[in-house]
Amino acid sequence: MFRQALRQVSRQATSATRRTYATEAASSGALKLSLALPHQTLYTENEVEQVNVPSINGDLGILANHIPIVEQLRPGLLEIISKGGQTEQYFVSGGIAAVQPGNKLTISAIEAFKPEQFDLEAVKSLIADAQKRAASSDEVVAAEANIELEVLEALQGVAK
Amino acid sequence: MFRLGVNQIARTSGARNYATLREIEGRLKSIKNIEKITKTMKIVASTRLTRAQRAMTSSRVFNQSDKEFMENADPAKPEGAKSLLVVVSSDKGLCGSIHTQVAKAARRKVEELNGNVDIVALGDKVKAQLIRTHSEKLKLAFSGVGKEAPNFNEVALIVDEIQKLGKYENIEILYNRFVSAVSFDPAAFSVYAADAIEKAPGLSKYELEGDSVAETLSELSFANSLLSAMAEAYASETSARRNAMDNASKSAGDMINSYSILYNRTRQAVITNELVDIITGASSLE
Repeated sequence: MFRQALRQVSRQATSATRRTYATEAASSGALKLSLALPHQTLYTENEVEQVNVPSINGDLGILANHIPIVEQLRPGLLEIISKGGQTEQYFVSGGIAAVQPGNKLTISAIEAFKPEQFDLEAVKSLIADAQKRAASSDEVVAAEANIELEVLEALQGVAK
Repeated sequence: MFRLGVNQIARTSGARNYATLREIEGRLKSIKNIEKITKTMKIVASTRLTRAQRAMTSSRVFNQSDKEFMENADPAKPEGAKSLLVVVSSDKGLCGSIHTQVAKAARRKVEELNGNVDIVALGDKVKAQLIRTHSEKLKLAFSGVGKEAPNFNEVALIVDEIQKLGKYENIEILYNRFVSAVSFDPAAFSVYAADAIEKAPGLSKYELEGDSVAETLSELSFANSLLSAMAEAYASETSARRNAMDNASKSAGDMINSYSILYNRTRQAVITNELVDIITGASSLE
């Protein structure tokens, strides 16, 4: 947990030096969201009010007329607030979110599920399992387990 | 000597009359069995086709965001650098010209790039075709892919394996694009290396944070494009197999028709011959 926070801080420190600004002005209109998984399409250019995106640089709230950006996602909760004000939540494991010129937000996630679809007990047992492997002397196994832990710990906070 | 020879001929021709009847019967049976098999394969392909098409549509949408970004950023293709061709196909035949088409497209691409390429083959069929002409360029081949619609996990593993070959400035993925249920055509996805993305003229349209965005984008775009290519290739293959099996069943039906006519004619001829024999025998006794 601490390590993750540290990493995030160091990442932010480097990013501060390398920030490029967009030259393209954003156009007007409602925000159109496309949320796609490799095997399923959840949203196709549906008009929404706001989308909260978990990025590796911190959480982002994206409204209409956002400047074009490209952000890498971290495991976390994706919140979609529709025009009517209802909130849809999805847990995403990672991917890329891009605001395209023309007020389009495209999110490509590898997996996305609603928080209520997760079983907290299963998550806990998986965490215990991954922690065991993270202590392994094999570097590859430990690295894989650490990535798993990162996802699972984020999931633990989300699952009900 | 001569008489003996004549005797033998007469015997064989006489015997062949009956044998032909049995032979035709046997052939008719085997064609009927083949028809059953091709019909079943057609039904299997038809049911798979709807699933394959669904997988293809969602992978197209998944790839869309990436494509849009690349269109806006518009990275330049590096000149003169070594390219990598990833040729997407599968292990199984009986689906028309699908593997030949993509192999041909790969050969054309190699010509176009003056042979300065390495090739990765996905699927045994295309590997067998490319190894004949470009065995020294073929670096890696995967088998057991393309049996069903691809999932991201499988694709990520393949991408990892391909990236062990080293860095390529230019990666092209060749596949059969699904046009409609009756047609497909070979197409290509370009994957840009991280450097090319960083130098892209249109990149300033976007706001980027962090160092590794270009690299992440390049890797994800590779995986994305490969997933899309495999989904399209699978859909085209399934539809090509459906059509091939449809044609095969039709031809088998035609053959069954002509063979049953031949069978009936031969049967009647045999009966007539026997009757003639009996009647001549009976009349000679009178």
